[in-house]
Amino acid sequence: MDVGKVTRRRFLVRAALPTIAAGVGIGSPRLCALAQAAASVSVLPASGPGPMPVTLNVNGRAHELRIEPRVTLLDALRERLALTGTKKGCDQGTCGACTVLVDGRRVNACLTLAVMVQRKAITTIEGLADGDQLHPMQAAFLAHDGFQCGYCTPGQILSAVALLAEKRATDEASVREWMSGNICRCGAYPNIVAAVRSVAGQPS
Amino acid sequence: MSLIGRPVARHDARAKVTGAARYPADLVRSEMLHCKAIFAHRPHARIDGIDAARAIALPGVVAVLTAADVPYNRYGLIDADQEVLCSERVRYVGDRVALVVAADPQTAERAAKLVEVAYTDLPIAGDALSALEPDAPLVHEHRGTNVLLHQKIRKGDIEQAFADCDVVLSATFTTSWQEHAYLQPDAGIAYYEGETLVVETAGQWLHEDLRQIAAILALEESAVAIRYAKIGGAFGGREDLSVQALLALATWKTKRPTAIVWNREESIVGHHKRHPFHIETTWGAKRDGTVVAVRTRTIADGGAYASTSVEVLKCAAIFAQGPYRMPNVATDAIVVYTNNVPSGAFRGFGSPQAHWAAESMITRIAHALEIDPVDVRRKNLYRDGDTEATGNVLPAGVSAIAVLDRCAQESHRRFTPRAERHAHASLRRGVGIASGIKNVGYSFGFPEQSTATVELIASARIERAVVRIGAADVGQGVHLILRQIVAETLELALESVAIVSDDSAQAPNAGSASASRLTFMAGRAVHDAALAARSAWERGEPPEATVQYRPPATTPLDLETGAGTPNYCYGYAAQGVEVEVDVTTGVTRVLKIVSVHDVGRAINRQQVEGQIEGCLAQAVGYALTENFKVRDGKILTPHFSTYLLPTTLDMPTEIVPVIMELADPHGPYGARGMAEMPLVPFAPAVAAAIYDATGAWVNDLPMTPERILAAITAARERTTASAASLVGASSSPA
Repeated sequence: MDVGKVTRRRFLVRAALPTIAAGVGIGSPRLCALAQAAASVSVLPASGPGPMPVTLNVNGRAHELRIEPRVTLLDALRERLALTGTKKGCDQGTCGACTVLVDGRRVNACLTLAVMVQRKAITTIEGLADGDQLHPMQAAFLAHDGFQCGYCTPGQILSAVALLAEKRATDEASVREWMSGNICRCGAYPNIVAAVRSVAGQPS
Repeated sequence: MSLIGRPVARHDARAKVTGAARYPADLVRSEMLHCKAIFAHRPHARIDGIDAARAIALPGVVAVLTAADVPYNRYGLIDADQEVLCSERVRYVGDRVALVVAADPQTAERAAKLVEVAYTDLPIAGDALSALEPDAPLVHEHRGTNVLLHQKIRKGDIEQAFADCDVVLSATFTTSWQEHAYLQPDAGIAYYEGETLVVETAGQWLHEDLRQIAAILALEESAVAIRYAKIGGAFGGREDLSVQALLALATWKTKRPTAIVWNREESIVGHHKRHPFHIETTWGAKRDGTVVAVRTRTIADGGAYASTSVEVLKCAAIFAQGPYRMPNVATDAIVVYTNNVPSGAFRGFGSPQAHWAAESMITRIAHALEIDPVDVRRKNLYRDGDTEATGNVLPAGVSAIAVLDRCAQESHRRFTPRAERHAHASLRRGVGIASGIKNVGYSFGFPEQSTATVELIASARIERAVVRIGAADVGQGVHLILRQIVAETLELALESVAIVSDDSAQAPNAGSASASRLTFMAGRAVHDAALAARSAWERGEPPEATVQYRPPATTPLDLETGAGTPNYCYGYAAQGVEVEVDVTTGVTRVLKIVSVHDVGRAINRQQVEGQIEGCLAQAVGYALTENFKVRDGKILTPHFSTYLLPTTLDMPTEIVPVIMELADPHGPYGARGMAEMPLVPFAPAVAAAIYDATGAWVNDLPMTPERILAAITAARERTTASAASLVGASSSPA
């Protein structure tokens, strides 16, 4: 799912109104189904299809895995590839901590099955820097102190990288709008917005 | 150049932006055993039996632990009334009855479903008011009552004072639970390192976790080490044990490394919340705006276990009249056991609830007397030398009036002029202001200390320093602050000061990351230890010193009168807000916030501003969106899809943190704590702004659109009714 298309809050407001939710269109029911699928991975006995070969191209490197098709991209990254920079905050697509890039688009890795993104280019926080050279967005978060505990930070940074590529960071209001799928409970929002805007070349 | 006040960057910043920072769940390795806790999922029941035979028979299951496996099955921060695994009875939905230990998470999950627990459900004490009824079910039968604490404060002659008042107003206020929602769900690992049992998690106080876990396992404290990974937020929510004791038990029993990772629902169900309050209060004032009497009866839902309830309620009791000098006070603060999720520490620790009532009331007094709310506050705010309701003289450095005046100036300068506020028929703007007070550090005679060791690497001059202090960096940046203080004290570059802080075996006890206390307490400890180490070096002795800092002593409060010395330091705050209310829907947006804080001295200005802005995000949630719902003991909002945390869109574009530096006499370089203060006056400032916009007061938190709309409708009906009675007509005026 492109987190930008249906903002979290708009989705929740709609979801809270059952009579309207049915008419939201293709986006939300699909999201609900995926959320349920993702949530049920860990509680159902392994009665679905067994492990299958899955190739994930992560940060420019191909990884051959044997995983069940129910495994989310988030769990594949964290538990099979030891790429723990991508965080699990809710496992339901509501917090944005697991945001990664798939072919440059931001997705919630907890709502994405790993088998869905074979042959696509996956970028995680570990793949942003060029050796010791931080990505400009990483450097901006550092310079603007765009975090406190840091748990949401990988998701925030990847969301922000995609936002700039989407050319939607036109002003402060649009940055806030298009970053609203990423929750920061420490509330470092002013510094996050300042960091994103600085990379977008806007004065804060 | 001085390091104090400079916005130098955190040393863990690079790891946090590259994904290299390791939080507890990132430490889990597949070869570890995985634990799954079995929750009661029922609010009150007798355990008739636990049959784990089918679970144990499942290949890959190593153990199913129950109460019988726990050497000393009692724990708690203040009152050890909670069991690690319940033996005979469960008292809330998040109680744990068994722990499955298995080779992998999937097997642990499946086995957990095979453990059969037979219960007999019992009647519940569903809320604080009904739990006080004489025939209410008892949550802890042996106590004979559900009352956990009834703290009284009595000062002056309250009845005579009310009789002599020109205006007397009464109102009832309520608040709800608040979920910490630290973004990193509870997780951790445990393992043996030689003979030492190591528990590596996230928490707020290494040495208290150590004390409780050693007691639970009946081990010497020297046989256990607590380590903190990177901590993904805390806000008071990691003050009580959650997964730590389960991990320690699993590894101690199996002698193998174990891991546990709670999902979001387990975290929300499994740890304590901010207390819901029911507050009845009456305020009396003279015509000139002097408030002379406040009577308050506060009843809080403590949930199933004691946690820190008694301390929270005593704090709420001393702040029942807000930050105001008050000759006549009658306060009853009661906290009650119920079969709800336990209530405990959350940023503000009772003060936000007390201020919700107090700051709403003083604004209403001002309106009733047709005096500016700022003037009424200024007339009544604490001054240096004033006496608290508890009979003691306030700690020196009372800055409440200076803080309010600055807030009024900044708000006046920045907020939309009154004439321009109602340009739109349905979108109405209003402004509000509120003051606040909150203690820094532990209160009421609770032992308060912070200990640090500083070792110098020196030859002809001091080249480097290593600071040892077990202070939890929960994201607030305290490790950086402590390094800055030591570097400044020893005139070293920041890079020349290292800190060892995340291992209870390697660093002395700093006390908890709570009560806005670490900059003050741990800061003072490292400052004094640095000076002592330098003196030792100058004397030619080993250049090392361990110093325990103790602040001025506090005392318990007399239960009947409240007499005592509650605190050694206070922080003072004032906030102005501008809101926009859609009067057709009740939807309210906060447009501007001015948040003024006397921080004594900002050791790192960027971090102080970050604490103000970040705390305000939680304050916006507390005031408007975070509606934690419980029905019949069951939590109805166990996910972020139903419990709405503020996003960047919910925050105003204009947040003005104003830092005042009126030095505290004891804090390092004059610093006093500040990290909780922005939550204290915020909700009543918003309520005052909503009143300013609409003429309607909201008495219940959170102020959801439904509640605001209902208040607007009720206010209109009252206006209509009174207008109708004035003109003697039955038709409704426009």
